[in-house]
Amino acid sequence: MSADEFDPMIERLFSRTPTLADEALFVATLQARLEKRSRWRGLALTAAGLVGGVLAVREGVNFNFSGDPDTTLTQGVRTAAAAAQGAAQTGLDSLGLGSIDLMGGSGMLAFWIAAGAVAALLAAGAVKLSQDV
Amino acid sequence: MSKSLRDLHDVELAAQAAAGGRREYGELVRRHGSAVRGLLRRMGAAPSLADDVAQDAFLQGFQRCSEFRGQGTFAGWIKKIAARLYLKRVAREARYVAEAEADEAAPAQDQAGSMDLDEALRTLSETERVCVSLCHGAGMSHPEIAAAMNLPLGTVKSHVKRGLDKLRARLQPVAADGRSLHVG
Repeated sequence: MSADEFDPMIERLFSRTPTLADEALFVATLQARLEKRSRWRGLALTAAGLVGGVLAVREGVNFNFSGDPDTTLTQGVRTAAAAAQGAAQTGLDSLGLGSIDLMGGSGMLAFWIAAGAVAALLAAGAVKLSQDV
Repeated sequence: MSKSLRDLHDVELAAQAAAGGRREYGELVRRHGSAVRGLLRRMGAAPSLADDVAQDAFLQGFQRCSEFRGQGTFAGWIKKIAARLYLKRVAREARYVAEAEADEAAPAQDQAGSMDLDEALRTLSETERVCVSLCHGAGMSHPEIAAAMNLPLGTVKSHVKRGLDKLRARLQPVAADGRSLHVG
């Protein structure tokens, strides 16, 4: 057999896919590993989001908005905060919960309650994901 | 109407897999899993090791799917990943210290008289077998093989040539009376 005949032949032989009996098992195992990896990835992202959220809330609460009352930023933040609280108060009024005064001293308490609720939701999501994994 | 997975081309499946489509990637695995496992076995991996490396290769392929843009075939792309992973595994286990002696198996012919590449490959030394498999099975160039195996380019060329010469001698058609035909 000459090299001219042999080279195409060896290419053909190598290109033939062997028939393996456990092909379906191989595919199923790989897909299970892909699913598992995906869940772990989701779990890790949730955990990172939770930690990041908690840090952001903590930093936001500790930020001293009254440090320099004359800056545009401080005034803007104050205006936005007042608008948000006003909107929330309107919502509470429409729900018949107008007695809760967000504009008063309980505003910070409401903020913490909301932050706690968000954190609890994230934690519940993380727990559910971990149960799925 | 959307096409079923089986109707999609490898490039389309790979694009969807790159966007996180695990079902689409599963179809690619179904299409090319056996080819990758077969290549690794031809390179000398035991079946369990071949399956293990093939699984790792496909997992890595899923993460790197966005790198495949259809320049070659998906099979070729994933085979190269698998071959490199196998070489790393082998290097880690220091199995290249000594080359295995080629056994003197009988000329390879299956029951139907067709040429059995797998049997013939077993007559090559381990390095020849890997080099030939990488070259003709994984479609790697000699410089790519040299880089992957950390061998000089000339050495790789020699191994491929010697391996092919041995394969040619083994795989040559057998005449009706059982005598080998002349090797050209």
